[in-house]
Amino acid sequence: MADDQVIAQDLPKAMDTLRDIKTQVDSVTGDMKGLLKKVKDGEISTAKGISFLESKYQLLLSYLINLTYVMLRKVEGGSIRGDPAVSRIVEIRTYLEKMRPIDHKLKYQVDKLVKMAAMGDLSENDPLRFKPNPDNLTSKLDESEAESEDSDEEKDSGKPKVYVPPKLAPMHYDEDTPVQRQQKKDEQARKRALRSSLIRELKEAHSDAPQEIRDSVGFRRSVETQDDRHQREYEEDYFVRLAVSKKQKRKQSQGMVSTLNQITKFGDTSALFGGEGGASSSKKRKRSSKKGKKGAKKGFKKRRK
Amino acid sequence: MTDGAVTVRTRKFLTNRLMQRKQMVVDVLHPGRATIPKTEIREKLAKMYKTTPDVVFVFGFRTQFGGGKTTGFGLIYDTLDFAKKMEPNYRLARHGLYEKKKPSRKQRKERKNRQKKVRGVKKTKVSAGKK
Repeated sequence: MADDQVIAQDLPKAMDTLRDIKTQVDSVTGDMKGLLKKVKDGEISTAKGISFLESKYQLLLSYLINLTYVMLRKVEGGSIRGDPAVSRIVEIRTYLEKMRPIDHKLKYQVDKLVKMAAMGDLSENDPLRFKPNPDNLTSKLDESEAESEDSDEEKDSGKPKVYVPPKLAPMHYDEDTPVQRQQKKDEQARKRALRSSLIRELKEAHSDAPQEIRDSVGFRRSVETQDDRHQREYEEDYFVRLAVSKKQKRKQSQGMVSTLNQITKFGDTSALFGGEGGASSSKKRKRSSKKGKKGAKKGFKKRRK
Repeated sequence: MTDGAVTVRTRKFLTNRLMQRKQMVVDVLHPGRATIPKTEIREKLAKMYKTTPDVVFVFGFRTQFGGGKTTGFGLIYDTLDFAKKMEPNYRLARHGLYEKKKPSRKQRKERKNRQKKVRGVKKTKVSAGKK
């Protein structure tokens, strides 16, 4: 039968656990006997103590007693269904759970008392002795003036006071210091220079890896961006076609335009070799992009004239 | 133009009992051809779902960059009466089931001026007769 097999498997484990329990119980009883003897002899006084802790270990004791009773019943083969011991166990468990956060809050006090008990009374200057004193926060100077002011204020405080926010002049907030900003710019310029075609061809010429020729539009473009995916899903769920704004149309058309005028531009590598070309290169880039849109139109019109 | 095989696939199929129709996302694969006209797609869908093409309404077709694949939406109504009730007028006009009446410009402006003299719901009753 399956039951016998399960029992056979669990039997050695059960025997081991029982043996462990027995050894641990023996050691604990030995310690407890020593403690009890000390208390009886009057070496340790239990008169003054934290009542919270006392209730805690009384609860633990009764929990253990109930638990052993339940174990006894089960070992004898009787059922524990509907047994009051089980409900008592549950009750005590709930109490213990509720005591745990209180325990956490009292931790500081308990530690302090234990330290005091171990080392005797604390000296005058020990910081552990001080407790918060809110009276120290009020100013004790000019009490007469304060009193007269108070009486005036009390008359006015009959009306509810409107909250007036403090008037502060807004100041410009710079997240990066100028030095950090310069460092970031240098980093960006370096990365851009490394990606330029000159450096890439040098890398290809000197590396041993096989040359890859890719015919794709690029990783970023081939992977659908999150925005695009979101738009597509929305359109398919709601059976509508969303209007494309002018900005998006421009972005899409820019992706499709051929860039023949970029053939002779090999990329600005000054960031790697010399540090001064950075600012001027960014300015150059802006001018060239503007030329593409309006500059061409203007140029056409000028030529016609 | 090589007449490649045109494949029509449907995705996200949903039977909408509230509007008495079946709605789906239509994917058309047409390598080597320009975007397929809507009438052809309607006929193919009618064959797939064993109905007549006059209750099939398709719209919103967008061809992906590079060509070859077009995605749009399709609705198949139970009967033409339901279609006439549910579909917006511009889509019915595409099937020839609706004609937008457009009075001449002068008459529209005269109606507007007559409506200016009246307030509220009575504006709709204004255009009854030429005063």
